[in-house]
Amino acid sequence: MVENDYINCKNISKKFGEVKALDDINFVVRKGEIHGLLGENGAGKSTLMNILYGLYSPDEGEIIIGGEKTNIKSPLDSIKIGIGMVHQVSTLVPDFTAVENIILGSEGEKFTLPISREREDIIKISEEFGLQFPADVKIKELSAGVKQKIEIVRALYGGATLLILDEPTTSLVESEFQQLLKSLKVFVDKGVTVVFITHKIKEVMEACTAVTVLRKGKVQARVPKEELGVENLVKLMFMEQDIEVTESALPKVNLPEIELSEKPVAQVKNISIIGDDTSPGLKNISFDIFGGEILGVAAVSGNGEKSIAECIIHPTMLDSGEIFIDEKSMKNNSPVEVFANGVFYTPEDRIKEGILNEGSIKENILLGHHQEDRFLKKKIFIDWKEAASAARDVIKEFNVATPDEDLSIRRLSGGNIQKAILGRAFVSPLKLLVTHNPTSGLDISTVEFIFNKLVELRNKGGAVLFVNEDLDELMIVCDRIAVLHDGELKGIFKRSEFDKFKIGLLMIGG
Amino acid sequence: MAQKNKYKSLILSNLIIYGAAIILALGVISIFVAVLGYNVLEALRTLLTTSFKSSFGFSETVKKAIPLLFATYAFTIPFMIKFFNIGGWGQMLFGGTMTVVVGLTLGPLGLPSIVMVPLLLLVGIISGGLFALLAGFLKAKYDINPIISTIMLNFTAYQFVNFIATSNIFRDPNEGHPITRRLSESSLMGFFGEIPASIILAVIAIIIVYLIMKKTRLGFEITAVGHNLTASETYGINFSKTIMVAFFIGGALAGLGGSLEMLNIHGKLIEGFAKTSGAQYGVFGILTSLVVAGNPLAVPLAAFFMSVLLVGADSLQRTMQIPVEIVFLSQAVIVMFIVIIRERYGKGIK
Repeated sequence: MVENDYINCKNISKKFGEVKALDDINFVVRKGEIHGLLGENGAGKSTLMNILYGLYSPDEGEIIIGGEKTNIKSPLDSIKIGIGMVHQVSTLVPDFTAVENIILGSEGEKFTLPISREREDIIKISEEFGLQFPADVKIKELSAGVKQKIEIVRALYGGATLLILDEPTTSLVESEFQQLLKSLKVFVDKGVTVVFITHKIKEVMEACTAVTVLRKGKVQARVPKEELGVENLVKLMFMEQDIEVTESALPKVNLPEIELSEKPVAQVKNISIIGDDTSPGLKNISFDIFGGEILGVAAVSGNGEKSIAECIIHPTMLDSGEIFIDEKSMKNNSPVEVFANGVFYTPEDRIKEGILNEGSIKENILLGHHQEDRFLKKKIFIDWKEAASAARDVIKEFNVATPDEDLSIRRLSGGNIQKAILGRAFVSPLKLLVTHNPTSGLDISTVEFIFNKLVELRNKGGAVLFVNEDLDELMIVCDRIAVLHDGELKGIFKRSEFDKFKIGLLMIGG
Repeated sequence: MAQKNKYKSLILSNLIIYGAAIILALGVISIFVAVLGYNVLEALRTLLTTSFKSSFGFSETVKKAIPLLFATYAFTIPFMIKFFNIGGWGQMLFGGTMTVVVGLTLGPLGLPSIVMVPLLLLVGIISGGLFALLAGFLKAKYDINPIISTIMLNFTAYQFVNFIATSNIFRDPNEGHPITRRLSESSLMGFFGEIPASIILAVIAIIIVYLIMKKTRLGFEITAVGHNLTASETYGINFSKTIMVAFFIGGALAGLGGSLEMLNIHGKLIEGFAKTSGAQYGVFGILTSLVVAGNPLAVPLAAFFMSVLLVGADSLQRTMQIPVEIVFLSQAVIVMFIVIIRERYGKGIK
């Protein structure tokens, strides 16, 4: 054993039913590392960390922490020995303030109020680690980035010396990610070791001092800092798959020159939505989308990008202005009436907004098309045969990994759910696809697949409004990029004018 | 096919869940019966077999099962979109009362049975539906929690029954109790032997509920809203419309149940009808719905099973002097065990 091995997971195996999630894993983290745990979706990253955190128990193998064999039975045990985990999905109570959330479940004097002393401690920790946040605002009023800071502080307040961050960047924008990077360095200086779970090679390259690559439940390699390289990591992650990648470790796609449609598919004219506490609204925005182009919308999360995506489908959200599809006004139309004009939508949060999670794939594919004549008999009865055949087409065209269309959709992986949601948009003739963050949290091969589907639609003369948090992705696949900040349109750039620095600056209001 | 296997395993898991829950519940009941000093085996036999031992027992079971079926639907259908209709009882009362009001008013016209009965049933359906729609509307328009509005409407309906049953126009002057005059013969429904004719409407209702929920766009929209409101709205389903329709359907079925009680069982409006074994059908309906996790397709079976227990409990009281409350205990225990086992060991009914 090497002197400074801090965490040593030996020969860990874990099965879920017939599926081997982890197969004889050996995983070592040294003190003071920012250790990347890299792998595709379903490679076993989260399972391994959940074992370390005590949420699952391994079928085989042992965990040695600080040289001692430990038996972690529950998160309580792991917190006691200094392991803190920040989950992918926020676990904060929305109606409590940050301070209340952090105190909740922490050891110490119980049932004593007021909490001024704890409050001071918490604020001290947050300042010490450079993780400032509003301490007395209810969680539900805060952005994803701030919530994450609070979760990290909660772990540190609980005495964590090992911090596990599960896909911490899923809901962060570039500037928040940079902030997180800075904090990580502070952690290390203060003696906290970090495990950083991600499927994004770019982040590992920027953040980590060592990386373990998982693939299909097995450790591919432990890569020290000196050997970290995009090509190297891609090869380890995907082995036989042959994906061409760009410098930012994103899939390359081909954007052939094609003719734009003569008339715009959609015209957005002077639309405004009055802002409120949660959203800046939209301020007098106008643009056109033509057939044969992918128009990106780049924005830091919370700058009106959700409104832009939604208002096309829900024109009644608009306080003023008008949206035209094929020169036909959509004013006061319901989503169903908008869909009838060849428009479809894939929402930002695929689980919360996109699917009926207790429903089958078939029912989910039907959702949004259930009012179309094609799927109705005598206007009121649903033609389930037709729905099944449409679902089978989607499964085939979009490579959804499932035995049949009757499987419950929640049993699919995130990537397959997203493919099904995207596939649903193509069930009926599609002129304009509005898609919001379709690639978030997905691995590179699924991202490539989704990009290619968008480009396919574009090449056939369809239009895509691609609202996305990741500027790198937009620059790969868009013909034009519109930049949104604080509900205002800051400019639209053609492909030849793409400049990451310039667009990035506009996104943050510069 | 995968489909076939899925159903097979679903049936199997349901059998296990319900079998285990019932056995456990019977065990708990046995303990109580034994502690109270009665003969356990005889008590269990009475509880479970009274319905099947005599034609009287069976017809009594059917008579309870029919209103219970409708009360259960009243809760189940709004529950599909995750809203609680506590007002099944009130909707039943209102539907039944309106049936009697219209029936007594039209009585002197001497219309034939073929006109009167369908007309009065329609009155029950529509008035029950509208009464529940009120709660749906209050939710859709003013975001008022249907639990509160339906409870309030229960009181309203209860007082409405009293109002009609004591009013000079409708009340029976020969009765000391708030009871209306009897409906004319042409308004009443008959029996097949001892089985009430309303069973035909129960069967029709079962078929219609099945068709609506499984085959129509409306059923799909209700299911979708229940699964995920946000996604449903994103993809163009109108929540306000869906909740109002769901409450209307639930209330309409309860109203029909109340109407059938009038036309087939009582023949007149009696203060505080729609009760059995001392408790009102609304509560039993909620309980019965929870037994099958709000699955509308499983409601008929559950309603029949619960009626078997109700009849068994009445018989326990008559023959063994075991208090009828034992049935509330047994039903509560069964529901609890089913919920626990289902949450713990699998999903079962879906």
